[in-house]
Amino acid sequence: MKWLEKYKVQVPILEKESDYPNWAISMTTTLLNHTGTWRIFRPIYLNKIPPCNNECPTNEKIQSYMDLVKQDKLLEAYKLILEDNPFPSITGRVCYHPCETECNRKDYDESIGIHCVERFIGDWGLKKVPFAKPATKRKVSIAIIGSGPAGMASAYYLALNGFNVTIFEKKAKLGGMLRYGIPAYRLPKKVLDNEFKKLITLGVKFRTSSLVGKDITLDNLRKNFDFVIIGHGAHKNRPMVIPNEEASGVFSGLDFLSQINSGKRPKIGKKVAIIGGGNTAIDAARSCLRLGSIPTILYRRTRAEMPAVSDEIDAAEAEGIKIEFLVAPVKITVTKKGKLTGIELIKMKLGRPDASGRRRPVPVEKSNFTLKFDSIISAIGEQVDLSILSADITKTEWGVKADFIGRTNIQNIFAIGDCVTGPKTVVEAFGAGKRTALQIMGNADKIQHKVERPVQYSELNLDYFEHTQKVPPPQMPVAVRKKNFKEVHTGYSNVNAKNESERCFSCGVCNKCDNCFVVCPDLSVLKDTGEYEFDYDYCKGCGVCAHECPRYAITMIEESKAEVE
Amino acid sequence: MRFTVPEKELMFPGHVACPGCGGALAMRFALKALGEKTMVVLPACCWTIIDGPFPMHSLQVPVLHTAFETAAIAAAGVKAGLDIQGKNDITVMAWAGDGGTLDIGIQALSGAAERNDDIIYTCYDNEAYMNTGIQRSSATPKGAWTTTTPEKTPKSEPKKNIMEIMNAHRIPYCATATLAYPEDLINKFKKAQSIRGTKFIHIFAPCPTGWKMAPDLMIKICRLAVETNIFPIYECENGLNYSINIKPKNQIPVVDYLKPQGRFRHLIQKDIEQIQKSVDFEWELLQYRASRDFTKSKNIQSQAKK
Repeated sequence: MKWLEKYKVQVPILEKESDYPNWAISMTTTLLNHTGTWRIFRPIYLNKIPPCNNECPTNEKIQSYMDLVKQDKLLEAYKLILEDNPFPSITGRVCYHPCETECNRKDYDESIGIHCVERFIGDWGLKKVPFAKPATKRKVSIAIIGSGPAGMASAYYLALNGFNVTIFEKKAKLGGMLRYGIPAYRLPKKVLDNEFKKLITLGVKFRTSSLVGKDITLDNLRKNFDFVIIGHGAHKNRPMVIPNEEASGVFSGLDFLSQINSGKRPKIGKKVAIIGGGNTAIDAARSCLRLGSIPTILYRRTRAEMPAVSDEIDAAEAEGIKIEFLVAPVKITVTKKGKLTGIELIKMKLGRPDASGRRRPVPVEKSNFTLKFDSIISAIGEQVDLSILSADITKTEWGVKADFIGRTNIQNIFAIGDCVTGPKTVVEAFGAGKRTALQIMGNADKIQHKVERPVQYSELNLDYFEHTQKVPPPQMPVAVRKKNFKEVHTGYSNVNAKNESERCFSCGVCNKCDNCFVVCPDLSVLKDTGEYEFDYDYCKGCGVCAHECPRYAITMIEESKAEVE
Repeated sequence: MRFTVPEKELMFPGHVACPGCGGALAMRFALKALGEKTMVVLPACCWTIIDGPFPMHSLQVPVLHTAFETAAIAAAGVKAGLDIQGKNDITVMAWAGDGGTLDIGIQALSGAAERNDDIIYTCYDNEAYMNTGIQRSSATPKGAWTTTTPEKTPKSEPKKNIMEIMNAHRIPYCATATLAYPEDLINKFKKAQSIRGTKFIHIFAPCPTGWKMAPDLMIKICRLAVETNIFPIYECENGLNYSINIKPKNQIPVVDYLKPQGRFRHLIQKDIEQIQKSVDFEWELLQYRASRDFTKSKNIQSQAKK
């Protein structure tokens, strides 16, 4: 409530000499004196985009749920995450957390353990919160090809809003890369099954073991459904193109992981070479270790260029997995009978940067040498299988041609996830799935784009923060974990999550810390309504509130540019 | 971190302090601490003006405007008048600037302190006669520009140590405070209110106008003054028992405090080094004093209580 609404100001009548008091005594308050007219700049409350939210491919409102965890409002926090990401228990485990890389706190001490808090809320929600029921049914049918992360996210939002969703999956079980690509020590199958219960409750229909292109055609789907969403991913192993690649004992990375994730234990022998430097290579190597073998990763560039998530490389190294850098395979050596004996390699050096910005490896002449292995896993990348697509869909070099929202050249056909981008991450697939769902639901205006300039570290007032250490993500000791496929990370406790969320700067977003109210010399910050507001009748525009706001939630704008109220 | 200050406002907006005035915020905090049953005595100082021209006033408590040199004794008189009427629950606070305390009002203040009159005397120190046009006072720090100590001949004398003068009176309570630490400031006023006798509170209150700095830096400069040890936050009971209330976490060089202020713009490296030396000396001296424990000496304690 503004001062002038709260107080009735008496205006003394001082016309004749007798109206004046006998001595200088005040007759009214300075509320008569509208010092707001002095102002050149005016403060306004303007929440800005924190770097974590901006960087998140699903645009999770990270700062907001951190604030809710701080206040022990876990249900609200869980519901808020679900608005942007339906499966926080999955991303809390497998996301490469770009939010933490961009977190402003990293320049102060250590970034916030966002993914650990997310995982905690996700697991809490799975246990405590009943699954959502769909809204009123609509008569729109949607076919989704592939039950991987992209399809899951789309299906969730569409089904939640009453669309009839059917997912076609070529494998016997659901989850795509989440089930068959990611090993159980990173994402336990039980968590995945529990997350799928959300889709089952929403009434999503599943058609497993039905390969589009063989069991059912894309044209058929186009005829029978209003919309088709292609999200079949990138599951084709990229060949190494070296002699004897077909020898027995040579596995493709994805096939190997898929076998393990289906409960099989492929015979790989003692010494195993894994070729490649991506997440598949690391996953394959750590899985080999858990099968009792001695894996060695062979990568043609250096650690700095490895596309795998840095944390994963660290974990692999901690488990004692050896990585040979700057070596490339020349041929696979076999006996006359065709039995694998090892691999011939050539040493590399780094040359000029290539299209990806990484330095291109160049072979060092006559540096060939041979290493002995019992089996070899090739994990140099995955490709998109384009054979299921009909001819009229435009394609790119590596996949289906689709825009940020997933629109292809054909109306009513969308394409999302790895089949558009080539092998990327789970969270990016979730993001793409959500955007497409919003587009189909007619809420295209809710699709968020990255802003160019989120809140910068230099814009915060750090005087109000103490240095604190990050709560380290709890994990099983190396000696125990490398013997089995049990989950490595054990997750934050409630106390851990709360402590970690309390470290959040809340960049750019007011979290009611009261600083502006306390430091105003002109009593012009009001908070009777529960929300802060400025009393522009009296605010002189000194800017102390904006400067002392720890999180840059107040902006000073030129008075002449301010909207006329 | 989150500040918790009493919610009730005993001041009105519309007062005529400059934007970013430290003195205005100091009064707001002081009244929040002391509550409604307070009377304020103002000698000539910025606050005479800030309170508002006739017929307006900006405080929700009674104010007596008095002459420049009489803040302490006028307050003591108000207190005596209240006592005679049997109104014992009213706190009387003299609120004077650094000129009205360190220069012009010092004899009345010294007199009141000597008689141990039951008042709170607050000096809000903006380090010059700001209201009349930034003339130097004995609180102006060495090297500072004012209109009477221009850049070519900046003030050559160091700031008068009013806290030591007041401690020498052995009054029950002396304290320093500043606006970057509102809870500390408010607690000190509450503590002063609970003690009978003369209480002296020295508030470091920046004047963006007179210090030639951006008004939005008002709180920041308070914090820097404390963190560079230019203005240590401490209190002293009975002129003997010192305790430092806010210990800077990391040693920040004084240049960080001097730089944002235009009044120190002309200083060269040598001057800054000199300031640093004297600040270090004063800080060490204060730490030494604070480390003395007079409670162990029964002799000193019994003497102090008299």
